[in-house]
Amino acid sequence: MEEKRHIRIQYDKELRDLKDKLIYAGALTEKAIEQGMSALLNRDTELATQVIANDTLIDRLDTEIEDKCIRLLALRQPAARDLRFITTAIKINGHLERIGDMAVNIAEKAIILNQEPLLKPYIDLPRMAEVAQGMIKESLDAFINEDVALAHKVRRDDQIIDNLNEQIFRELLTFMMENPHTIHRSLIISQISKLLERVSDHAEGIADMVIYMVTGQSVRHKPASAENG
Amino acid sequence: MNLRLFHKFFFAFLAVGIAVVIVAGYLIERELRTDLSARIDDEIAAEARIIALMPAREIARNAEELARRAGARLTLIHTTGEVIADSERDISQMDNHLTRPEIQEARLRGVGKAVRYSTTLKKDMIYLTVALREGSKMTGYIRLSRPVTEIDLATLGMATTVIAIVLAIVGFSLTIALLISLKILSPIRRLTAFAGQVRTGNISGTLRIDTRDEIGQLAGCINDMVTALQEKIQTADVEKRKLESVFSSMREGVLVLDDENRIESVNRGMKAMTGRQSADVIGKTLLEAFRNSKLHDALERYREKEETLCEEIVFGHHPPVIMDVTFSNFYGETDGEQKTMLVFHDVTRLKKLERIRTDFIANVTHEIRTPLTAIIGFVETLRQGALDDRGKIQEFLQIIHSNAQRLNRLVDDLLILTGIESGETRFHPEQLPLDDTLHQVLTVIAERISEKKLKLQQQIPQDLPSIRADRDQLMQILLNILDNAVKFTPEGGTIIISASTGPEQDLILQITDTGVGIPKSEIPRLGERFYRADKMRSRELGGTGLGLSIVKHLMKVHSGRMVIESAPGRGTTVSLHFPLFQEST
Repeated sequence: MEEKRHIRIQYDKELRDLKDKLIYAGALTEKAIEQGMSALLNRDTELATQVIANDTLIDRLDTEIEDKCIRLLALRQPAARDLRFITTAIKINGHLERIGDMAVNIAEKAIILNQEPLLKPYIDLPRMAEVAQGMIKESLDAFINEDVALAHKVRRDDQIIDNLNEQIFRELLTFMMENPHTIHRSLIISQISKLLERVSDHAEGIADMVIYMVTGQSVRHKPASAENG
Repeated sequence: MNLRLFHKFFFAFLAVGIAVVIVAGYLIERELRTDLSARIDDEIAAEARIIALMPAREIARNAEELARRAGARLTLIHTTGEVIADSERDISQMDNHLTRPEIQEARLRGVGKAVRYSTTLKKDMIYLTVALREGSKMTGYIRLSRPVTEIDLATLGMATTVIAIVLAIVGFSLTIALLISLKILSPIRRLTAFAGQVRTGNISGTLRIDTRDEIGQLAGCINDMVTALQEKIQTADVEKRKLESVFSSMREGVLVLDDENRIESVNRGMKAMTGRQSADVIGKTLLEAFRNSKLHDALERYREKEETLCEEIVFGHHPPVIMDVTFSNFYGETDGEQKTMLVFHDVTRLKKLERIRTDFIANVTHEIRTPLTAIIGFVETLRQGALDDRGKIQEFLQIIHSNAQRLNRLVDDLLILTGIESGETRFHPEQLPLDDTLHQVLTVIAERISEKKLKLQQQIPQDLPSIRADRDQLMQILLNILDNAVKFTPEGGTIIISASTGPEQDLILQITDTGVGIPKSEIPRLGERFYRADKMRSRELGGTGLGLSIVKHLMKVHSGRMVIESAPGRGTTVSLHFPLFQEST
């Protein structure tokens, strides 16, 4: 009896540690995107190099978390909620790692752009970055607090990002048509916009997994508007 | 109502009473039975002896009559054991009685007695036999017998009495138990109720039990205990409240982690700093609550060493907040429970001031070095032979001169600034009409305005009230602002100077240009020393980076203020709010 209780306590501690590790990875990726965008908007090449260097830590955490999940699955044979939590952790971990990589991509592009004169003051891109960062933040908040309503909001916010992405592309198109010298820079900015769009997709993926974890229902590949108004 | 005590008393009395009655009853019954049977024996023996006086034939003839009178069965038996007569039975059916124990006894001693079950009558009987004699010769036996039930009937009467007594005892013990339990129980019940009330936290009032017995003493003790408890709790409460008010009035944020690294409590300062309600963070880990990897790393480092650790951690990014976080041990109420206390100290402002200071020194050296390098460079060139080229000499001297002037301006501005900041520059306020000073300033910069082909529009009402200002300082303010307007407005632009009285007993002078403008995000930093919104252009135009800083400080000395509004590409409006001159002041 005592031994059984002890095992349960140990198991709970492992689950808690896993959650903490995942949040830690979330904090790092959140920071990475924020710094990557800051490096771009403030033309701060030094910060961009730092973002690229920090990615190794995120990558290391990625494998560490995955190992932890697999160990838990193999040794504890979890059921019901615990099983959903661990599988969710595996998927969220994957999303976070991808977001980290995108932060690196953004930082790399920022370094290239910083070597050239400013094309134009950024207006939509910071707005897009703000929304995407907000989505990451809220998806992680939703995960921590098991807040389904917030997860649904993240899913809806994805639409704003898609609109901004299109708007930025149209604007860049006019720049490129007016002046062929801007084509290189415009293409890079367009890529960054696309990267942010994918970051938001990953945030949406995290939100999906949170909904699954809490309710047990899968909302993936379903339109956001159909859910929870 | 709990009657357990009543039950105890009742059953105890009942048990004792019944035990006494049973023991006594048994003893008395035994005594009575022996006594009674002895008496019956004597009675029968006497009757038998009387009958034995009669001749045997008479007895045999009057057997039935004799038996009725004696109240017993009578049997006459021959010495051979043959039954001669019996008062109740047909003698022909009776067997020889010589072997019966009472007969045998009578044969030897003259009288015999036996108690036995009679097969003929099917009852427990007492048999008493007396030897019948004629002279010295024994001729037979007279046997009288009575059923034992006679004794039983006698004792039965007594048993009825005993039962009555038992019932009386039951009633008695019921009454006594009820009385005692009422007497003892009611104060005990009040004691219990009072203790229960104290346990639930209502430690007020006293217990009123006035008896002098043990229960009264107990009540007294409880009252004393409650009073002592009240005092202790009050002291603890006061201490607790003191600590709490210290914690909550602290501007520093305090956060306590329990031994599982979960947030146990936060103070008001912490809530104000983070904008979080305690419900949002209590029970969460640091990572869950703040999601700050650096904070988590610091906690891990602290855990490894277990000694007080102070770390500078940046929170948020819009705008970033820099906190000094101190980790230290916090011992909980119970032993062995080791908690961690985190104290958050917001050092954002300090850090900013520190940065401004280091920036200032770096800027000053930089600003001084640039013209110095130019001066030294050209002097070197001249020394190394350029002296022969008169055209070059003129040009170089011009450069050296302008750089020296720039250096001079810089030093002048720095001196003005330090003068104002240290309070060494005296403020001599007087009643000043604004337009006088404005005219003087405009004459100074008129040449540069015409050089850049700028249009100057003045919208100054004639009846403008005087302001309270220092003449020299007012000139400095207007010069700096107009100088900036001229500097940053491209050729052919417009500068509008307008003035009006404001709603707060002040005069507002607005200088609007159609210059390059300043991004909104830069505006708050404009008063900082050496801060330039557009670094390249400002230096090219010969600015020291101190102009607005001086204006800002001077306006403060004048109890006025400066408001800058601007849009990039469209121009800037600087509004100067001066206090009006009032006779009393």
